[in-house]
Amino acid sequence: MTAPDFGTLTDDDFRARVREFLTQHYPTHLRFVLRRARLAEMRPWYDILSQHGWIAPNWPREYGGMGLDAGKMIILLEEQERHGVSRVPDHGIVQVGPIIMKYGTAEQKKYYLPKILSGEHIWGQGYSEPNAGSDLASLTTSAVPDGDDFIVNGQKIWTTLAHDSTHIYLLVRTSKEGKKQEGISFLLVDAASPGITIRPIRNIAGHEEFCEVFFENVRVPQANLVGGLNKGWTVAKALLSFERINIGSPRRPQYALKKLEELARAKGLFDDPGFVDKFTALELDLADLGSLYARYVEVVKRGEELGQEVSMLKVWAMESWQRLTDLLLDTAQEYGAMPGAHAMDGVEVDVLSPFYYARPGTIYGGSSEIQRNILAKYVLKLPA
Amino acid sequence: MLRDSVADFAKRGTDIRRVRRLRDTQPGFERAVWQQMAEFGWLGILVPEQYGGLGLGCAEMAIVATGTAGALTPEPLTAAAVLAGGAIARSDNETLKRELLESLVAGALIPALAWQERAGVLAAAAVAVRAEPFEAAIKLNGSKNFVAGAAGADGFVVSAQAPEGLALYWVPASAGGVALDLQPLADGRTTGMLRLNDVVVPKSHLLASPVCAAAALQAALDTTLVMASAEMSGVMGRALDMSIEYMKTRVQFGKPIGSFQALAHRAVDLHIQRELSSAVLDDAVALFDAGASGARRSAMASRVKARCSEAGLRITREAIQIHGAIGFTDEYDAGLYLKRAMTLSAWLGNAAQHRRRYAELSAAGQEGATA
Repeated sequence: MTAPDFGTLTDDDFRARVREFLTQHYPTHLRFVLRRARLAEMRPWYDILSQHGWIAPNWPREYGGMGLDAGKMIILLEEQERHGVSRVPDHGIVQVGPIIMKYGTAEQKKYYLPKILSGEHIWGQGYSEPNAGSDLASLTTSAVPDGDDFIVNGQKIWTTLAHDSTHIYLLVRTSKEGKKQEGISFLLVDAASPGITIRPIRNIAGHEEFCEVFFENVRVPQANLVGGLNKGWTVAKALLSFERINIGSPRRPQYALKKLEELARAKGLFDDPGFVDKFTALELDLADLGSLYARYVEVVKRGEELGQEVSMLKVWAMESWQRLTDLLLDTAQEYGAMPGAHAMDGVEVDVLSPFYYARPGTIYGGSSEIQRNILAKYVLKLPA
Repeated sequence: MLRDSVADFAKRGTDIRRVRRLRDTQPGFERAVWQQMAEFGWLGILVPEQYGGLGLGCAEMAIVATGTAGALTPEPLTAAAVLAGGAIARSDNETLKRELLESLVAGALIPALAWQERAGVLAAAAVAVRAEPFEAAIKLNGSKNFVAGAAGADGFVVSAQAPEGLALYWVPASAGGVALDLQPLADGRTTGMLRLNDVVVPKSHLLASPVCAAAALQAALDTTLVMASAEMSGVMGRALDMSIEYMKTRVQFGKPIGSFQALAHRAVDLHIQRELSSAVLDDAVALFDAGASGARRSAMASRVKARCSEAGLRITREAIQIHGAIGFTDEYDAGLYLKRAMTLSAWLGNAAQHRRRYAELSAAGQEGATA
């Protein structure tokens, strides 16, 4: 189904429309699940979004997307966070689709894009490797031309929801000449290809969200190359502004703040000046993040590209979020070591889930340390 | 244009040699420079046009406060033009108000606001100074402490308990019974401890009657919290720029020290604090200029003062560390920035005090909402 034309709505009307849509359609039991939900749980929601033309907010209307401008895109993301909406397995929507639109061939567009919209294809991201994490450009998974194919050998890891994916997009080494970044290519791979083994990895929260993926003499058609040979690094770096800003949204940590406030109120901690000092400092860290975030939202709304300075949003948002869940754990005292929901002073709170949920944010998508390197180099222009 | 004139002043109208020369002197600033500020119109930015001012907003005042504080200007700009001037501008004695504001704007009169009595107490209503009818006049008794911009002030706006409630009085510095003890501040300026011993002023010196005094005082204080934060933002900006510059040029172990990750990440964290401060400051200025009032305005004032005080102190402290031993010398400017930050942080409540005030204001707001 084609999406309605949201471009004609004012921002306020659009926000109201989103709220109405989420209230009406989003499954209540999937609000605030505090982990990466699996495809089986999210499939009904994927279908609803797909049927109403809401599945691809960032795609232009001619490709079947909602065609939202940056301002409305941010409104949608904010409302999803507010309502506690879990991400569907959205790498196809967020990453592969836009990349194919920008760099893909006519055949690739025609074949892949509709299948992403319908949910027939679910994509996983094959970037990190055991020895290429922060130093991603050191990746060694190789693709060697053989007739009309590449033969892929190697291992990917931390591939989120690979076990739910029908396809995986890969960064592979196609040349060992010159700079590391200049020998990398971007490949689209059918996860059912012979030679691929997917093994889930259990994380510290006890969930199997990410996987390791092994490639042993896997044949991938050369027609699945995107953006040309050895151009993969450029392709992968073409992230859109609003995706980089969303990670710094002050909405995500709000849930943990709300839980902390509930628990503290039940325990009478707002009469304890020591607690109030800690709580208020964190509350203001988030409030002030909101001011900084709003500044970048304005940049995006004006249609300007965000520079590298947006990294500071991720650092501050993720680290503030963690400090908040640290205090939640402390506040729960004995229950700070007990998984699951527990009744404490009349309120029922699960403190470990928000604590674990806040951990990976300082690691994925460029760790806090890598973000600081980026800020030092590109914003402060400190010498290498 | 305002930005240009502030930048020009910071470049040519003042310099660090002048700042050093005026340290630990009295009054600690120059009347000629004050006059220049009057000519630029800076003293009247927040003064309504009908009283000779420019009738502009916090946005304009913040540009001046940031720029002059970044140059460590010692003139009591925010103390006189924002704090004392703000209280006067919200008073209800029209005749006196006009007279004081017009001479403030012209640079002819420097007022100071004497409101605080006890250390650590930010409540404007916590006033023990008494005003009582005395023949056909008013007699004031009591003590005010931590009076900013007291050195060189021509008179004081004094908050006092009158029989009808809290009121503001104009007390000329030369009035009998006024004793001012100037105590040194870390940055080479002074703060005033004011004793009022049977000070008699005419009834016409009742500046703000109990009808408006408390509100006038609170509004002036809240506005000054934002402007002190703007000053802090100027100080931290300059201190961090200076440190980053040093990291690019200082070579040890054959490399510029800015290439060492421990220092680079430190600088990045300071930069994040600077950007957070500036984003909150922008929001505060916008909220004040949109006419916010009550607990919402006060909470914003506390929020920005808390962030800027914390960030300003941290950045200037770490500026010393980044510079190493040279940063600890009196000859190097990093120490001047640290000391100005210490003074600005302690003025009108530091970060910890303002986080408490924010918590109290939001708790009161929530009770109000549920009631």
